[in-house]
Amino acid sequence: MSEPQSALLLRKQLAELNKNPVEGFSAGLIDDNDIYRWEVLIIGPPDTLYEGGFFKCHLYFPKEYPLRPPKMKFVTEIWHPNIDKNGDVCISILHEPGDDKFGYEKASERWLPVHTVETILISVISMLADPNDESPANVDAAKEWREMYGEFKRKVARCVRKSQEEC
Amino acid sequence: MGDESKNSSEEPSQVNQDELILAQQRQIEKEISESIPLVGEMEPISSLNSEYANDEVYLEKIKDLSSKYKHIRRTRPDGNCFFRAYSYAGLERLLDKKDEFNAFYKQAEESKDALVQLGFQQFTVEDFYDIYMEVLKRVGDLTDVDDAKKTLHFLFNEQGYSDYMVVYLRLLTSGQLQKDQDFYSCFIEGDRTVADFCHQEVEPMYKESDHIHIIAACAALNMGVRVVYMDRGNNKSVTEHDFPEGCTPLVHLLYRPGHYDILYP
Repeated sequence: MSEPQSALLLRKQLAELNKNPVEGFSAGLIDDNDIYRWEVLIIGPPDTLYEGGFFKCHLYFPKEYPLRPPKMKFVTEIWHPNIDKNGDVCISILHEPGDDKFGYEKASERWLPVHTVETILISVISMLADPNDESPANVDAAKEWREMYGEFKRKVARCVRKSQEEC
Repeated sequence: MGDESKNSSEEPSQVNQDELILAQQRQIEKEISESIPLVGEMEPISSLNSEYANDEVYLEKIKDLSSKYKHIRRTRPDGNCFFRAYSYAGLERLLDKKDEFNAFYKQAEESKDALVQLGFQQFTVEDFYDIYMEVLKRVGDLTDVDDAKKTLHFLFNEQGYSDYMVVYLRLLTSGQLQKDQDFYSCFIEGDRTVADFCHQEVEPMYKESDHIHIIAACAALNMGVRVVYMDRGNNKSVTEHDFPEGCTPLVHLLYRPGHYDILYP
């Protein structure tokens, strides 16, 4: 193989997403010469607190993709129980196979080689609409979401506004 | 507030512990991958002796094993060993039997559409299928059997090809389980569905294989296997089990707790 299989697969996915865009996000590369680092713009899903926001994220793929998952980070500031304060997304499908780091999740939700950028983004968008507060990466946001929803809403609204200004 | 200060003092050490365990796990994986090839060379059965120098139980069983088998080919213990050993050994045997190889090839060609019909995404299955077929084609096109076996060995030690073979075989196994889920659901513990089980235990890489994986993989490839069990149990001989029962096995594997290697009569 002259080029690693992972690079070919990512190139194919990028071409496919450019040809047939998927509703809810747009995808490109951070640097055109590096197929392993993607920049994705997520449009805040309608009928959620994040509606109207534009959230820039980066996806970092390992050379072993799709055997191992990418890491995902929100570059735009966002307030959400499953995204830590540095922007790192913490959902179980992005966890390594056999990775029991937090001990809470069922293996069912782990990384599978058949996941693509599209299926990852669909999971992340659904996570925005429906946080999982059993395994928060941002404990403060999870606590607010449960107990001080008003405050939670206000912080999210601020992020949404800020994301529009930055855009 | 009291709660919060408690959290902040506990959390860092918690995270560090987990990170340490993960880092150590990666280190072990790295050492294994640097020292053990994905699929090794053929070795005499007696090469097992050195692993059990002072272990009477095992030495006795190795003696029994060597009365039935001449050689062993080790595979890397990375959780994929059953799938890797099974497909390598199967293809290696089929290279000696052109007609059976051709039938196998034809069946493989049709397998992608069957997976898509079962609900697998065409787009993602395709990549693994393409590599799988490329490997079959490359070894099948060579008229000289020795050349073909050398190529097979080479490709199975190229991480990219080798792992894709494993992924595709895992998908075929998952497909088989889901196709016959009425049958397989009886063997799944807990209140998991067959699809859950496939997502948790079959499709992810590095997940170890159990009987149910073996039965389904054999049904998917239509290729029987004899598994020879060697453990610390008290009987003096090794135990054999054929999948599916009563078949004439094409592939022979040695099972020691947690790991499969290839055997040659």
